[in-house]
Amino acid sequence: MSEIYVITSGKGGVGKTTTTANLGVGLAMRGKKVVLVDTDTGLRNLDLLLGLENRIMYDLIDVTEGRVPYKKALVRHKKYDTLFLLPTSQVKDKMAVNPEQLVALCKELRKEFDYILIDCPAGIEQGFKTAIAAADTALVVTMPEISAVRDADKIIGELGRADKQDIKLIVNRIRPQMVENGDMLDMSDINDILSIDCIGQVPDDIKVVTSTNKGEPCITMDDSQAGTAYRNIVARMCGESVPFMEFAKEGFWARLKHVFGK
Amino acid sequence: MSDEIVKIKGSKSGLQLSFAEGAAFAAVRKDIEEKLVSGTGFFLRGTLVLLPKDAFSETERAQLQKMFHEHGLICRTMNPEAQPTPSEQVRRENEQEKQRQAAAQAQAASRKEKVQEMVVVNRTLRGGQEIRTESSVMVCGNVNPGAQIIAGGSIDIRGTCRGMVHAGAFGDNTAFIIADHLMPTQIRISNLIARSPDEMEKTERAERASIKEGRIVIEPIER
Repeated sequence: MSEIYVITSGKGGVGKTTTTANLGVGLAMRGKKVVLVDTDTGLRNLDLLLGLENRIMYDLIDVTEGRVPYKKALVRHKKYDTLFLLPTSQVKDKMAVNPEQLVALCKELRKEFDYILIDCPAGIEQGFKTAIAAADTALVVTMPEISAVRDADKIIGELGRADKQDIKLIVNRIRPQMVENGDMLDMSDINDILSIDCIGQVPDDIKVVTSTNKGEPCITMDDSQAGTAYRNIVARMCGESVPFMEFAKEGFWARLKHVFGK
Repeated sequence: MSDEIVKIKGSKSGLQLSFAEGAAFAAVRKDIEEKLVSGTGFFLRGTLVLLPKDAFSETERAQLQKMFHEHGLICRTMNPEAQPTPSEQVRRENEQEKQRQAAAQAQAASRKEKVQEMVVVNRTLRGGQEIRTESSVMVCGNVNPGAQIIAGGSIDIRGTCRGMVHAGAFGDNTAFIIADHLMPTQIRISNLIARSPDEMEKTERAERASIKEGRIVIEPIER
């Protein structure tokens, strides 16, 4: 039985697309058949993170408007042959797809794939409503920052209104040193407000930036802390019980380096 | 036994006097005089004193009334409707009293309805969500920042309150707000607004906010 996830956040820039790309690759590394659907029409990025921009022939709009069957629009990943991307259009806007069309498309995709991950645009308007329409489970991505938590709270409320009961939380870009110094919200503060099941705590990692630029998600890197955290999330999505990782604190020398501005 | 001649009983509207059976007017008058002079703390200025109607004649009652007036007390005869010749003022007062009673009854009746009618919210209210009702509200869950409750009656939150809460929104000054952890951005009761301190601490005990002496007061409660 296939599962449909929507990755959403409300606020922009918290790492929805990065999370989608990493989880997609992670599931594919386990041999699952995965399709990533980008619904951020007009501001598409998911193809860049996967390094697939130059392979796009057709897009989501072509599929929903019935110009091509969805199989023609799918882009296979270069490295993982069970991972596919259904890119969206960069020229149209969010009005080009409606919820019914996406639900119908996901019904088709379900027959072929184990996991369908939908990358949701920021905001709570039409694009958001379209993206969540077909999902079984919502993954809400947030950051340890009051504005991101506030927006996540709003999104959880909106998901509840759309009758989505299965909601999981991923906290991204945690800086363990700042949390320890009391300069950043910690997990208990976030749980206090959002009070939903958390399946991932991802530390802030410069390797995310370098991997984004290379078009190769950091989940493939063994030495990346964020990569390890994403691998744990994938394991939890597959029903395994994995404890939350202990973040490596900045050592004395690393902090000394910061002091001298290196 | 002089204190047996005149009995003073406190009632809702004021002090009610009753006289011993067969007591002479002169003795009663003397006793009241003494009490008025000695017990200054007891007979506060402006207190309403009620005389039993059938105790003395009208002229004697008038004398007592005058005496009370001299000490700054308001004196009335009980059951003024039964008086044979009600003065114009008394009649006006009667009408006002009746109106007041009717109003109080209506208010009590409407309050009763509100108690019967209560909105129960069985989930956490999240940012951007709003409950607006003329009745009271009970929330089994948290009220998160950015959420709003506007209630005609009182608000009871079985959880943490971090949003904006407005009780008695249509002018009920007796409305109150209770929460296990009361740390809202703003509390409004009736037409008063209170803002949380800029440095908010998480409270350990349940608290209750209500209007006391024209201000919003928050005090811990047992629950």
